[in-house]
Amino acid sequence: MTPSRRSFLMGAAALSAAVATPEMVRAAAALNVVAATKADWALATQDVEGDIARQTMRLVHGRAPAGLQGALYRNGPAKFRRPGGSATHWFDGDGMMRAFRIQDGQATLEARFADTPKRRTETELDAVVTPGFGTKGDARARIGSNDDANAANTAVMVAGDQVWALWEGGSPLALSASDLSTRYFVTLRDDLKGMPFQAHPRYAPDGSIWNVGSAGGQAVIWHLRPDRSLSDAQVVPLPRASYMHDFTATNRHVILVLQPWVFATHAMPVTAGLAWRPQMGTQILVLDKDDLSKRRLYELPGFFHFHLGDAWAERDGTIRFDVAASGDPRFAVDGARVLVDGHGVVPGDPAKLALITLRPDGRADMTYSDIVGEFPKADPRRAGLKRSLTAHTSGETRGRPLPTGLAVHDWNSGRSHAFEFGVHQVVEEAVFVPKPGATAEEDAWLIGPSVNLKDGRTELHVFDVARIEDGPVATWQADVALPAGFHGVWAG
Amino acid sequence: MNTAAAIAPILALAAALTVAAPAFAADLTVAFPSAAPQGQIMVAVFNSEANYGGEGQPAQVAMLDVAAGQTSITFDGLPDGDYAVRAFHDLNGDGKMNTNPFGMPVEPFAFSNNAVGNMGPASWERAKFAAAGATTQSIDLK
Repeated sequence: MTPSRRSFLMGAAALSAAVATPEMVRAAAALNVVAATKADWALATQDVEGDIARQTMRLVHGRAPAGLQGALYRNGPAKFRRPGGSATHWFDGDGMMRAFRIQDGQATLEARFADTPKRRTETELDAVVTPGFGTKGDARARIGSNDDANAANTAVMVAGDQVWALWEGGSPLALSASDLSTRYFVTLRDDLKGMPFQAHPRYAPDGSIWNVGSAGGQAVIWHLRPDRSLSDAQVVPLPRASYMHDFTATNRHVILVLQPWVFATHAMPVTAGLAWRPQMGTQILVLDKDDLSKRRLYELPGFFHFHLGDAWAERDGTIRFDVAASGDPRFAVDGARVLVDGHGVVPGDPAKLALITLRPDGRADMTYSDIVGEFPKADPRRAGLKRSLTAHTSGETRGRPLPTGLAVHDWNSGRSHAFEFGVHQVVEEAVFVPKPGATAEEDAWLIGPSVNLKDGRTELHVFDVARIEDGPVATWQADVALPAGFHGVWAG
Repeated sequence: MNTAAAIAPILALAAALTVAAPAFAADLTVAFPSAAPQGQIMVAVFNSEANYGGEGQPAQVAMLDVAAGQTSITFDGLPDGDYAVRAFHDLNGDGKMNTNPFGMPVEPFAFSNNAVGNMGPASWERAKFAAAGATTQSIDLK
């Protein structure tokens, strides 16, 4: 039988018979931990109790660059704990969409929870009951389809006057871009209702969008037109049932990186069914965008990753892309639980940037840098095309979770430039925003928020890509602290 | 045509049904007020947990012609007792519950009490209701 997300969900039904589980005890304990035992970074995973109305942020440093206008939409979990049971994993909190809007030198912030069936059920029960990536859930869950478990908490894409809150195992959830109110789950074609649409769509030079949705040993490859309507969707078989959070693409290829973290048993939560088998190595499946049946498979020693950088193909057919790689999935299993606990030690080492090269003769190699980095982002003008810069979060150290700085790595020169805020800031993913009318890769801003732990406030920073080490050119501060989010997108 | 002659057998049948019905009978109306006006809705009424769970047949079945405006059905004269309903909206009228390529239903379905399951169909416990006298289940297909 081909394992699918549904069969995982269905197979887990038997598990849901338990009423009081160790998970629930752990959740209750998390809820009752007194503030004194919390780590200094615990603000980064605090709960938000309600929507945040639009507020003007205060400029606390520098000034807004001329010509910078637009909105940074960001998604991330913002409600983990409820009296009757809590999410115990960072990836399972309720999605909250943030909008940082910059106009005429001013910045505003608003944030609104995605109004999902999961959140409605759990609000009614005053308990987190829905199984997720690392949260077991319990017998009170109401899951008739995968979108009933959709936390809509991972990423976001712009679609006309909507933004789509993206998760990993279900449909995009359409929200109004103007007030972030929830509209509906997006069905791109009637016969594809509920098919997973993952959180890392890739934008092609022709304006179209590619994405994947995986279910065990198969994946759907989505291709959307620039207006976000469906151009095509095809199901392709995969050589292994591997956990896949991201994929990448060149202008001509879709690239699936199949790590040796594989679905071994039907169990919930998702992490309970996965087995780490590094001896299997990592497989890289390259599909031809023009004919998805044309495929090549490359092999590398096993590594763990969540995030890939945009890929490009060189004239001789060589394909390159970067990855934030680590030795094992301990962060995904245990570290992300420590984050929701709000204290404790995150096991393992932070991810480092590496460059993967796939050669026309079938050989693959992977070159690790010494650069600690996550959330890689690149110039959107060069998506799928040759580039040399990768922007990323930095500063994470062994034992202490979450980044404290931003950096830009130049793969051509091997040079890195970084700005370190210090441990009083939790730095989130920054997006790469081209300067109006400019074309050079470094002619761009990096825009992203942080949680200022000292002030207890969320901040928004603008950096000049060419001078990261100088620090932000502008910083605004909100009068609230939102927990750290995952992924964002710039709407210029 | 002799109207009286035409009606007489029907009256006789009705009388027979009345006599045959148990002393306590339920008239169960299952309504789908928000169903889109296309295709047909398949309704199955079960009178035991075992049958509802797939071990036996439904006590009653019906097919509603939603495209023609039929959004409810009444099952007359059911014995009083516990029941549960499964329904799905065959939007394209092909007689099947269509699924997406990963096997997940793409046509709306629902259970009595608008119960939702836990990674599967709603359980008997969540979907069962007592039918006695005039009983209505109003169901939103999702």
